[in-house]
Amino acid sequence: MVDKRLAIVVDTKRCIACNSCAVACKIENNLPNEVWWNRILNVGGSNMDSPSGTYPNLSMQTITLSCQHCENPACVKVCPVGATYKDPETGVVRQDYDKCIGCRMCMSACPYTGVRSFNWEEPGYHVDFAVGDADVVPHQKHTVEKCTMCWHRLAKDLQPACMEVCIGRARFFGDLNDPESEVSKLIAKRQYIQLLPEMGTKPSVYYLV
Amino acid sequence: MTDTSNVAVLDDDMDFAPAKERAGAKAAAWGGRGLTVGIGVAAVLTAIGIALWAVQLSGGMVQTAMRNLDSWGLYITMFMFFVGLSAGGLIISSVPKAFGIRGFGGISKVAVMSSIACTVAAIGMVVVDLGQPLRLWELFAYSNLGSPLMWDIIVLGTYLILSCVYLWAQVRAEQGKVSHTALRVISVVALVCAILVHSVTAWIFGLQQGREMWHTALLAPWFVSSALVCGTGLVMCVAAALRAAGYLALDQANLVRLAKLLAAFVLVDLYFFGCDLLTEAFPAAGGLAVVEMLTAGPLAPFFWGEVVLCAVAAVICLVPSLRTTPLMVAAGLCAIVAILCKRVQLLVGGFQIANIGLPGPVGPMTVTGWESGMAGAYQGMVYWPAPIEWGVALGVVALAVLVFLLGVKFLPLRPQD
Repeated sequence: MVDKRLAIVVDTKRCIACNSCAVACKIENNLPNEVWWNRILNVGGSNMDSPSGTYPNLSMQTITLSCQHCENPACVKVCPVGATYKDPETGVVRQDYDKCIGCRMCMSACPYTGVRSFNWEEPGYHVDFAVGDADVVPHQKHTVEKCTMCWHRLAKDLQPACMEVCIGRARFFGDLNDPESEVSKLIAKRQYIQLLPEMGTKPSVYYLV
Repeated sequence: MTDTSNVAVLDDDMDFAPAKERAGAKAAAWGGRGLTVGIGVAAVLTAIGIALWAVQLSGGMVQTAMRNLDSWGLYITMFMFFVGLSAGGLIISSVPKAFGIRGFGGISKVAVMSSIACTVAAIGMVVVDLGQPLRLWELFAYSNLGSPLMWDIIVLGTYLILSCVYLWAQVRAEQGKVSHTALRVISVVALVCAILVHSVTAWIFGLQQGREMWHTALLAPWFVSSALVCGTGLVMCVAAALRAAGYLALDQANLVRLAKLLAAFVLVDLYFFGCDLLTEAFPAAGGLAVVEMLTAGPLAPFFWGEVVLCAVAAVICLVPSLRTTPLMVAAGLCAIVAILCKRVQLLVGGFQIANIGLPGPVGPMTVTGWESGMAGAYQGMVYWPAPIEWGVALGVVALAVLVFLLGVKFLPLRPQD
């Protein structure tokens, strides 16, 4: 069997910056307070939800930013204990909380600002029961975490949670090594950008423009 | 083949005649109340530092000023700084022995002791920065040998052990128990390890393509030159202080030779700085932002501080009439503070320019000054240490001072007359 290269394709023309994917991620993975693995960033505007340009020539564009699950990940190379590693069968960049020594070398190495977060305190929650999927690995104090591509869902042959809720159907998920997959076809026929391609990390997240 | 038979004649550090009195007894005879008080103060500060570290671990690193977008801070700055400081002693001591040239008077052993103390501080700074220090054993169980941090842990550990062995070998050589050839071999190995430890520390930063300011091949040689600057500065200060305290006799000529060396190192370091700034700025692309941040942006006080302090140190060391003891000590201190400024620039500078600085959700864990939003957080320096970080760092520094003073009190580090 050929190894997969799981990828996320985001159609920025269809994204309406509703933040549903970020909230779905937060709930699904029972993220602690103040932790966001997926964030919606405004391109061109000076604040969240503000347009770029001057009236009447205004425009709005957003990107959703989470771990790029790079083919050549900077974080994996620098982790001294191999707590962050690339799954060879799926291409997903994974994080082992039990191994992480909290040195934060990966956070310095990752060029994609803020996709990795450190639990600076004992994880706290707004509700006193866990939300989301029961198979999510518990969060740990003083360890680094990030988007897992919903690893627990992949194991059940489900898409990541952020895909399910996208109102504008702007998010696509699939295997780039399969030419017949939806993501392969999308990036074959549409124009796309990738974030910071000059870093040489070969991200697995594509933004259709 | 190197002929080592005539080296002992050139090397005034070493006297292979059996010691007239037992070195231990001689050392124990030294040290008045002042030294004991110093040891006591250092021990108390170390204990306070350890208590604060416990507070940091139990209450969470949220008490520090470090956050997701500026995930390293004072501890890693001081780690870089102390790795650099440790260079001076070892290199000043080993170069004359390794190359068979004239040494710097009787400071060889004290200089190595200062190296050992600084290495202890450097390791301590990394340990207090870890979120999960109890998992340190994993470094040896699950070593990722491709990680520059892993290289650093290996080299730094080797360096500490080697420094101790080197010190021990010098003491034994004086007692006639270690051959001169053996000592020379150890000094060569120690010297190579010293160069390596700075290069590897530089690579922790320099190999990261994600941070414009760090990603330069110059970083490793530059770390070596900066280490020589502050290390020589430290040896000058320590030597002058110990002479004033009556611990050792040191020819003024030897202090002057150290000052001349310092001048050369400072000039090389400034030259590297100039090369790097020009290379960053010239394409007028991404690197220009780095140069602007340093020269006119939030890090300007540390940039100009370094330049001015280096210039002052160089002038004092280069003008013969200025080479008085107080001024040379001042030059040594200038050199040390200048390199500390350099370390602050490097660490904070790496985080000051966000690759993706687009507006988005910002919370208390995002960035240090999150209350004023992304733009506000980057207005001044993106990171400034919190009180607990100062306390813990001071504790680690106190530990290094404690190690050094204990060495001065109990080890036979005084030159044999």
